[in-house]
Amino acid sequence: MANLSGSIPTHSVSHKGQAGRIIGRILIYLILIAGAVVAVFPFFWMMSTSLMTLGETINKQLLPKTPQFVNFVEAWSTAKFGKYFINSVLITAGTLIGLLITSILAGYAFGRIEFKGRNVIFSLFLATMMMPESVTWIPNFLMIRGAVVPLPGGSWLNTYWALTIPFIANAFSIFLLRQFFAQVPKDLWDAARIDGCDHMRFLVQIVLPISKAPIMTVLLFGFTASWNAFTWPLLVTTNDTWRPMMVGLWTFVREAGPQTHLLMAGAVISLIPILIIYFITQKQFTEGIATTGLKG
Amino acid sequence: MAITTSPQGESTKTQRGIKWLKRREQRTGFLFILPAFLIIFLFGLFPIGYSFYMSLFNWRVRRGSFVGLGHYFDIFGDLLGLLMFLAGIGLFYLAYWVWNKAFRSISAGGFIAKLLAAVVLIVGGYVLTSGWGRMIAAGNSDFLDSLIITLYYALGTVPAEIIIGMVLAYILFQNIKGKEIFRIIYFLPYIMPTVSTAVVFQIIFSSRETSIANMVLGVLGMDPLKWRFEPKAVTTLLGLDLSGFLAGPSLALITIVIFGIWVYVGYNAVIFLAGLGNVPQEIYEAAEIDGANKVHLFRFITMPLLSPVTFYLSLVAFIGTFKAFNHIYVLRVPSAQDSVITASIRIFDSFYKANMYGVATAQAIVLFLVILGLTFVQNKIMGERVFYG
Repeated sequence: MANLSGSIPTHSVSHKGQAGRIIGRILIYLILIAGAVVAVFPFFWMMSTSLMTLGETINKQLLPKTPQFVNFVEAWSTAKFGKYFINSVLITAGTLIGLLITSILAGYAFGRIEFKGRNVIFSLFLATMMMPESVTWIPNFLMIRGAVVPLPGGSWLNTYWALTIPFIANAFSIFLLRQFFAQVPKDLWDAARIDGCDHMRFLVQIVLPISKAPIMTVLLFGFTASWNAFTWPLLVTTNDTWRPMMVGLWTFVREAGPQTHLLMAGAVISLIPILIIYFITQKQFTEGIATTGLKG
Repeated sequence: MAITTSPQGESTKTQRGIKWLKRREQRTGFLFILPAFLIIFLFGLFPIGYSFYMSLFNWRVRRGSFVGLGHYFDIFGDLLGLLMFLAGIGLFYLAYWVWNKAFRSISAGGFIAKLLAAVVLIVGGYVLTSGWGRMIAAGNSDFLDSLIITLYYALGTVPAEIIIGMVLAYILFQNIKGKEIFRIIYFLPYIMPTVSTAVVFQIIFSSRETSIANMVLGVLGMDPLKWRFEPKAVTTLLGLDLSGFLAGPSLALITIVIFGIWVYVGYNAVIFLAGLGNVPQEIYEAAEIDGANKVHLFRFITMPLLSPVTFYLSLVAFIGTFKAFNHIYVLRVPSAQDSVITASIRIFDSFYKANMYGVATAQAIVLFLVILGLTFVQNKIMGERVFYG
């Protein structure tokens, strides 16, 4: 920059400027590294504690003498984190399948089909995004217990349905897909229709293949939301038949006493799927969130 | 498409055709949204109405007697108090308006306006606090206090996480080696399951002398603290003798605030980074040629051009703090008493612990109205200050 301004800098000035710049650089990296340490330390500590003996956790050492990988075996089987983990996987998978079907169909309809009441229904959907969860807890809880409308099988407490059905559609995913589908050129549809294509075939054969990015975003969001869900599963699971990972961690804190090493092993297990997905789809993940920005 | 421009003679036939097509479109549209509609209606829209319905009854697990708006009166206690409180907020807005807009045409108008705004502000503050005092005295002080706690939580987290996020993003935006790695790391706390990380914070901020947080204090030469077990206000711990609202948040709440900041800083930084990418570089170069230094660049170019992002983030974050539940629920302990019970925790307790469904739904609806009101005010005030390039 300085060289562009025209005058030729004297030796001493440029030397001083360079020293200043180097100090500035070092300072900047120090800030960034401090930030990174703060961000990562809890994870590091979680890992390290999960490999300690019970004694070591009480003495608050920073690192285990010999890593106790057996903790993970114990957490998986004895502490039942394995069961909770599999429950979470099944719940998340079911939710995602339902979520994809409902939001692709609805996103397409809102984006590309003209029908009466479209805008009203769409704004009603969007209104649900503003609601605090606490407003819907109680009515939904009563509904799941079969106290509002009769449900097949009476009460859905402690069933797979209670944990999946309420989440197989949400306004946010529909909104996201609608934005994308609405941008698909109209000519494509006109051409397809002349060839005798109806909406369903157009959606499946033409629109979906070019919509991988937004569908991926919906999947990532759906996955994190479902995997991280806590309050609702806490309300509708009273035993461990379908108790998911997050509730499992919480009940372990309350019921198993101070077995920090097992608790941390469970916490590490609970992070693994999200970590894998985050590192594989890192760029898309970050950008998807940066452009749409929501945390459940 | 082509049908609409077809010749006259076929018009009745094509019109019937269009009608048939339209009906088919209508049917397809409805069929496509039907699955989503059923779920969102049942679990998203219907509960809003049903919540209000429930709030009109003495509902304890089963529906009891009809009480009308009784639960709402119980919350606010004193109708005059509520009106005074709202009038106080109105006066605050008036003061803000006077400060910015009134007396622009008169010379020395600025001084008069500021003086008047200050007077209105003081009156507003008086009316608001005495209204609130009346409400606390007669109403459900547990719930009203939880709103104050929520406000502390919001004021503790939102500005800090936004400022730190912005600074980190600004630094990262310079030519930094390993920028991607830093970004990945900063984002980690945000995407990780709240319960898992909160469980770790439980142990890091435990009251034991050997807890990580207390070891850090020890290195700094300070005495160990009780962290999330400490119901006393921070100001009290520092030896100040303030009471009531002025005493500020408890150390236990501050611990939760630290967790909140830790989670959201990286998220804000990533979004600010995206915003910085949209700022044209020529502006910086022009300013540098005019002799602006880095601080000037940040203050007079970056900050104004980022203001839409800042606005968006603070709105989302502020509303988020009023909805926040999971980590507060996990991090709270009985010994922190009421000092960490935010509005949504209070609602959950009324519902899940006390089984007072009618009261809980009324509280939830009040919280919803508060969130709506805050959104409106924030839109109004920040919307006017945002600079849209």
